[in-house]
Amino acid sequence: MVFILGVNFPERNIVKKSLESFFGIGNLTSTRLLARFHIHPTCKVGDLGNKQVLDITAALSDMKIENDLRRQYLDNIKRLKETGTYRGRRHALGLPVRGQRTRSQIKNAVKLNRMERRL
Amino acid sequence: MVSSFCWSCLTRLPSAPRAILPPTLTAQRVAAFHTSTALFSSPVKKKKGDVVPAKFRQAKSAKMKKKKPVERTRPPAVGERKALKKRIVLSNPNALEIEGMQDLSADNMVDARLRGSILGLPVPMLDQLRAVQAFKPKQGWSIFRRPGTVVRRETLELGRLIDGISGEGENKGRVVRKIVTGVRGSGKTVHLLQAMSMAFTKNWVVITVPEAQDLVIANTAYAPLSDENPNVYVQNDATAALLSRTVTANQNVLSSLSVSQAHPALKSAVKPGMTLEALAKLGIQDPAAAWNVFQALWTELTASSPAPGFEGTFKPRPPVLVTLDNLAHWMKESKYNSIDCKPIHAHDLVFVQHFLSLLKPNADKPTLPNGGLILYSTSASNSPTIYGVTVALQQLAARQAGVKPSSPEYPQADPFLNADNRVLAAFDSSKSTAPKEGSLELQTLGGLTREEAQGFMEYFARSGLLRENVTDAWVGEKWSLAGGGVIGELEKLGRRLRVVA
Repeated sequence: MVFILGVNFPERNIVKKSLESFFGIGNLTSTRLLARFHIHPTCKVGDLGNKQVLDITAALSDMKIENDLRRQYLDNIKRLKETGTYRGRRHALGLPVRGQRTRSQIKNAVKLNRMERRL
Repeated sequence: MVSSFCWSCLTRLPSAPRAILPPTLTAQRVAAFHTSTALFSSPVKKKKGDVVPAKFRQAKSAKMKKKKPVERTRPPAVGERKALKKRIVLSNPNALEIEGMQDLSADNMVDARLRGSILGLPVPMLDQLRAVQAFKPKQGWSIFRRPGTVVRRETLELGRLIDGISGEGENKGRVVRKIVTGVRGSGKTVHLLQAMSMAFTKNWVVITVPEAQDLVIANTAYAPLSDENPNVYVQNDATAALLSRTVTANQNVLSSLSVSQAHPALKSAVKPGMTLEALAKLGIQDPAAAWNVFQALWTELTASSPAPGFEGTFKPRPPVLVTLDNLAHWMKESKYNSIDCKPIHAHDLVFVQHFLSLLKPNADKPTLPNGGLILYSTSASNSPTIYGVTVALQQLAARQAGVKPSSPEYPQADPFLNADNRVLAAFDSSKSTAPKEGSLELQTLGGLTREEAQGFMEYFARSGLLRENVTDAWVGEKWSLAGGGVIGELEKLGRRLRVVA
């Protein structure tokens, strides 16, 4: 088990996949991170050197990921609402924000759009 | 109207099939106007469309049946499937033993009378050949009693070449560089295997890269070589694997040679009087030092005289055979990324650089002062389309045919197709000043001749795989079917099971 940014990953996991399990890191960011520390894409977590683990953790802690990023998302929605924009109002009402019709097919908007949006 | 009576057996007319019918049906028969369907329908079977109408405001949608969870067996253990995929079977106890089949030896390597016959690979050598991964999983070794290869024209030439380089004649210590090409199934990989087996019989050192692709598809670890040149990359694990292959296959030779040069890069790890086997094992144990160890081993193998202070135990070094399969994969950008997320060119990997540099005659210092053979083959079944390689091989063929690079017939790269200059440069070898250094040659493997094909098909017949009369006419037919004796196609024809009608 290897700790990367406080999360414990089993050694058999692939590094790229493990990185992508963080909120805010996708294919592109993980590819860049791997390239930056000379880790090949099929590398397993167990094969990482100590220095590489520390480097990755340091790089991740500089990035806006996980709860910081979630908070930023919520703040953005909140800002829209507080400035009284149409988009903010639609978020608060749980209706589509980007001009979709509301006669049918708004299940996702109903489910997701709210002030305290789940992320 | 046809009567239902059977006129031939009126006496035995059964009283009625009606008696067999259940009593409930008789009432029906009387009541209904049409009787036959009711009679023939089985009373037990329930009607299919007999659905109870849904009650008022009840859901009418079809209910989905829940799938039963499928019993799953445990997946195979880690590495088991890969081991099965890579398994190499070299013997088939059901195939017949061929009487009088000779083993490859130093004597019959150059014997032209054996052309068209099959030479077996000596059993003690099989472990060495396995160690250098000379056999490939898809090859048909598993259908014969024991592995053997056809002696074809190119094999005999190769035998003479290897014999000459290790002999005492004028060819002693020559360096020959060849690129082996040919259509699919023409025996390029087996040609490399034959070279390896001959080199083992002559006690050469054999260094192989069994699959060039493995180094560029980003499946092994990489790191910058050093702080001074961060744009060159070293692959430690792959180098350690190379060392391990080399040590296992050449144990006898390497353990008889000892260190004769100073290796400042390895510091105190190298002790005086250490054998080369022990030296190479340093790199296997510690992959971080693998590249330095490989370089040290290479310096030792290419040493022609001991460095001052090491005179005591110096023995002359044997010639070296370097083989590589599937060269084209080294001629494009690899799947590795540099620090700014740009693909790394394969020529920036130091491992690749080393093996490609062997193709060029070195100006100041001979590449292999003790002689040797550098044999790189392309692949026709797994080969990326690289324009640069196509042009470079055409240029190589033209140079070999005597066309001067300055002449208008010399094939030039189309400026609009962006041929990679590094690729062109890799194949572009000028004539060396050193007398023993050969320039790069191109060897194209074609089909077997009819006589060789006959010998090959007889091998199938004598192994009990082919039940045919191997006549001239039959062989001629198969030879044509196989695209002019392409050996891979001949093998397909030979191994196909046929029953004589």
